[in-house]
Amino acid sequence: MNCESARTQFVDYWRGTLEDADGEFHAHLASCERCRAEAEDLRDLWSTLGAMPDEDPSMRLRVRFYDSLRTWRQREEQRRQLFGWLRHPAFQAAAALAILVLGVGTGYLMRGRDTTEVSQLRGEVYNMRQLVALSLLQQQSASDRLRGVNYAYRVEQSDPQVLSALLTTVDHDSSVDVRLAAVDALRNFSASPVGRTGLVQALGKQESPLVQIAILDQVVEMHEKAAVPAIQTLISTTGVNPEVKQHAQWALRQLQ
Amino acid sequence: MYEATDSSLMQAVREGDLGALAILFERHHRSLFNYFVHVNGNRDLSEDLVQDVFMRMLKYRQTFKPDRPFTAWMYQIARNAHVDTIAKRKFEVGLGEKEFAAVNTIDENLKRKQEIGILKRAMAMLPLEKRELLVLSRYQNLKYEEIAQILGCDVGAVKVRVYRAVRALGQIYFELAGQRAS
Repeated sequence: MNCESARTQFVDYWRGTLEDADGEFHAHLASCERCRAEAEDLRDLWSTLGAMPDEDPSMRLRVRFYDSLRTWRQREEQRRQLFGWLRHPAFQAAAALAILVLGVGTGYLMRGRDTTEVSQLRGEVYNMRQLVALSLLQQQSASDRLRGVNYAYRVEQSDPQVLSALLTTVDHDSSVDVRLAAVDALRNFSASPVGRTGLVQALGKQESPLVQIAILDQVVEMHEKAAVPAIQTLISTTGVNPEVKQHAQWALRQLQ
Repeated sequence: MYEATDSSLMQAVREGDLGALAILFERHHRSLFNYFVHVNGNRDLSEDLVQDVFMRMLKYRQTFKPDRPFTAWMYQIARNAHVDTIAKRKFEVGLGEKEFAAVNTIDENLKRKQEIGILKRAMAMLPLEKRELLVLSRYQNLKYEEIAQILGCDVGAVKVRVYRAVRALGQIYFELAGQRAS
């Protein structure tokens, strides 16, 4: 191996990804003082380069992004609406008349209910809440994930994505506080069979006594008889906190 | 959907579900911000650029191809946004050393702090394309294949270019460090 081809492998050498099965590269470094010195000097520099600290952007960035996204969505929605009839001026008069008749008629029939515009706005706000909840639930910081759980209260109970995110949080979140908050938020989904089953299954996966007790309270509140086998397993499992076992026995009595 | 890949989320954005961009934003805005901070040394400018990149993703969403890595596409947009901004603001290609110096706010031991201070100055003196390459390969830890797609070249060329960039940085760095020692 000559100096030129050895140097093309320096980056792999620094990264620790060098494949030198036949030892040619290392043999060259051993025999060439210039390459050896350069590889070592620059390796230190490479290492210092990796030690440059990361920075956090300000909160302003997130606020700006969500504002712009909302504006963008509204604009696209408006554009979509406009395209339907503004692009066809020949139908404009007929459409305007039809809309007028339809508007008056619908307004009469739907009086007391939401207007279409209000429904759309409500849908928009709902979508944003769902997004914010889902995004926050994936954050590194426990306080952000807690905020995500709080947002989950504001979405419709039938939302499967938020329900699935909450169940994942109950099963896997590293913070007890976040798991507890997610268990509470699942109360909103008690009408959903998926939510109820998920909560029962979560019982067997929890190790924190606080979370176990919260789930027990909730399955009793929901009269979830399907939880009985899971509660019995909890009672018979060795190592489970005695207070939790006591609470589980109480829960069993309530459900039977 | 909850654990959707970047590519499937961007595909959803492309098909009109603009909200999926929020999840991509949460996943990538911090690393993009650091990419810009390391390339230009200016926090405010970097935040503007992150915002710009996500808005460009919306604008040019039809150019996203699901068979290519999302990260490569994102950094391609980031590079273009940076170049355009520099042209618009009539920035010098190498940004002021002062801006790089201001970024250093972390408590480290003195020697490391000095080394990083010199390194930031050296980075600021490096031509933009070399600085970008070092940020992508070292800070962002992208794979050679991804960098190759961003730059539109082959993997072998990436290895050589990164080596040259480190070497060029080394020349400036050791000169600055020597001046400091003498």
